[in-house]
Amino acid sequence: MASVNVEKLVKKYGDLEVLHSIDLDVEDGQFVVLLGPSGCGKSTLLRTIAGLESSTSGDISIGERNVNGMHPKDRNIAMVFQNYALYAHMKVRDNMAFSMHLNKTPAARIEERVNWAASILSLEPYLDRYPKELSGGQRQRVAMGRAIVRNPDVFLFDEPLSNLDAKLRVQMRTEIKELHKRLKTTTVYVTHDQIEAMTMADVVVIMRDGHIEQMGSPMEIYDNPANLFVAEFIGSPGMNLLAGKIVEDSGKMICRVGELDLPLPEQMNISAGQDVLYGIRPEHLIPSETGVKATINVVEPTGPETHLFCHMSGHDVCAVSRERMNWKADEVILVEPTLEYVHLFDAQTKEAIKRKT
Amino acid sequence: MAEAQINHQDGRGGRKLLALPQWLTSEHPLPWLFPATAMLIIFGIYPVLYSLWLSFFKRNPATRVEKFDPSWNWSKLIADDRVWDAVVVTLTYTSVALIIQLVLGMLIALLLDSDRRGFGVLRALMTLPLVVPPAVTGMMFLLMYDGSFGVISHVLYDLGILSPNAPLLANGSTALLSVIIVDVWQWTPFMVLIMLAGLRALPKDPFEAAAIDGATDVQAFFRLTLPMMSKIIALAVLIRGIDLFRIYDYVKVMTDSGPGTATETLTAYTGTVYFKSADFPYASTVAIFTLLTVLVVANVFIKIFRVRF
Repeated sequence: MASVNVEKLVKKYGDLEVLHSIDLDVEDGQFVVLLGPSGCGKSTLLRTIAGLESSTSGDISIGERNVNGMHPKDRNIAMVFQNYALYAHMKVRDNMAFSMHLNKTPAARIEERVNWAASILSLEPYLDRYPKELSGGQRQRVAMGRAIVRNPDVFLFDEPLSNLDAKLRVQMRTEIKELHKRLKTTTVYVTHDQIEAMTMADVVVIMRDGHIEQMGSPMEIYDNPANLFVAEFIGSPGMNLLAGKIVEDSGKMICRVGELDLPLPEQMNISAGQDVLYGIRPEHLIPSETGVKATINVVEPTGPETHLFCHMSGHDVCAVSRERMNWKADEVILVEPTLEYVHLFDAQTKEAIKRKT
Repeated sequence: MAEAQINHQDGRGGRKLLALPQWLTSEHPLPWLFPATAMLIIFGIYPVLYSLWLSFFKRNPATRVEKFDPSWNWSKLIADDRVWDAVVVTLTYTSVALIIQLVLGMLIALLLDSDRRGFGVLRALMTLPLVVPPAVTGMMFLLMYDGSFGVISHVLYDLGILSPNAPLLANGSTALLSVIIVDVWQWTPFMVLIMLAGLRALPKDPFEAAAIDGATDVQAFFRLTLPMMSKIIALAVLIRGIDLFRIYDYVKVMTDSGPGTATETLTAYTGTVYFKSADFPYASTVAIFTLLTVLVVANVFIKIFRVRF
């Protein structure tokens, strides 16, 4: 096991710079998820750590070793690919044993390791099958088996669950998490699925356009998004964002959005006249006895909670309630933002406005 | 307006704009199969059956009279040493040329399998020998091999590999190899094309996985590339093998089966019997025998290497 340190990593394809001076520290045993939209550079970063792409400048170390320019085979890493990348002409057993065949591990040891991995991943009945005779989930397990038999320093996962159906994805998510709990191997995991990131990660790294936007524990990122991009990217349904202006009203700061006056928490670093975006997550905009008038447009019951898509004086917002009320479209209700969860973003810089400490 | 008129002419007021003859719009398979089937029968099946029929006749070259005698030509063939020599020459020619073309083709394809600038042009240039007519290639090499002014012979003289007393094509031990080299020059690009198509269709991921699993490039080639390409390689061997088996043009143009019968292949011998001795029934017999040999060898290969089409 080992830590992974990336320092001032730059990756260019010709003149196109796709990673801009990335700094990333993954501690020994940590599960780090790189999250971002397509083309944000997360896969490139992972592949550069793996050695499948060369870096233009900067340093990558795994454990104590600087691995710049080192062939992937010498980095003692294991990688699981989105489309499994199994060796189609080899049986499951040989797929998993491939790396050990290459380094001439004794047959008894290979047998022992393959059986160990197969038992962890419930692959024993399939060891003598070919990949084409397996289902998607089983193939993904073989790919993981191939990774764990080697006892690598670092696991790298490149969107490993994207090709699976929704139910299997949830199941494999748990399995990967359990596997990590059991093996405690440092893991870097790439995904564009925020639920995967939230549920699996010790640390989520949000990337956009080759930059790291924010790094932190899933709840830290959810509760304190550093900027508008992170706020919008994390959470489903997404955070309600209303463009407004800070106004001083009888000694209190409020946010005026059109005709609406929205309350603000105390101690915000704001001044009257400032243009801001008022952000509130749907579950913190709660139907109640007091608050702001909103007309229900669509009611979406999901089971545990009900999403209410409303018009609020010209703005579309979503409110979430866990109550089982018999709401109807066109009904007028009152919704109340929970003050401590209100986020403010500067309209120009799009950065989050911090509270005074 | 125009549409209305056509509809009017159609007479039925239907939606059909063009009234084609019924057999051209038929959904029955026969009208569509007829042209190809007719070609196959006239130019493929009939000549083979006619040759087979012919092989059952004994021809008297002096009187030009053909008499039905089913066993005559076939017993003659079995006793004919030139046929068996030709079988050996043909098999030697086919296997040696095939192995060289296969290995060279794969190596060149590996070199050309790149997305870097200029490689597309290289791949296109590589195919140029294929557009030269084989007879012209034979003539070209005949000149280059020539003992007195040929460039290849002179280079070999200068290197001390060859003596001017034993010109390449006039020497029993070098003539066959010299013809094989011409075949290799012309047909290796074909092998390169097939191999390149196969290489470029290989998925990238397993190779990345193998690199991470610790495979060197050489290990990846033998453990991944070759097994993943096995079907394509088998197909290439089959196509080229059958093609090589019916070698005629280079031998005819360059050595005319000589010196002696050192380069006489089955097809060359068939040609000699047919055109020089005018013994059409016996030539047909040798031709049918050649066909049977190809069928047996090819099918054994298909069985052993489990080639699927």
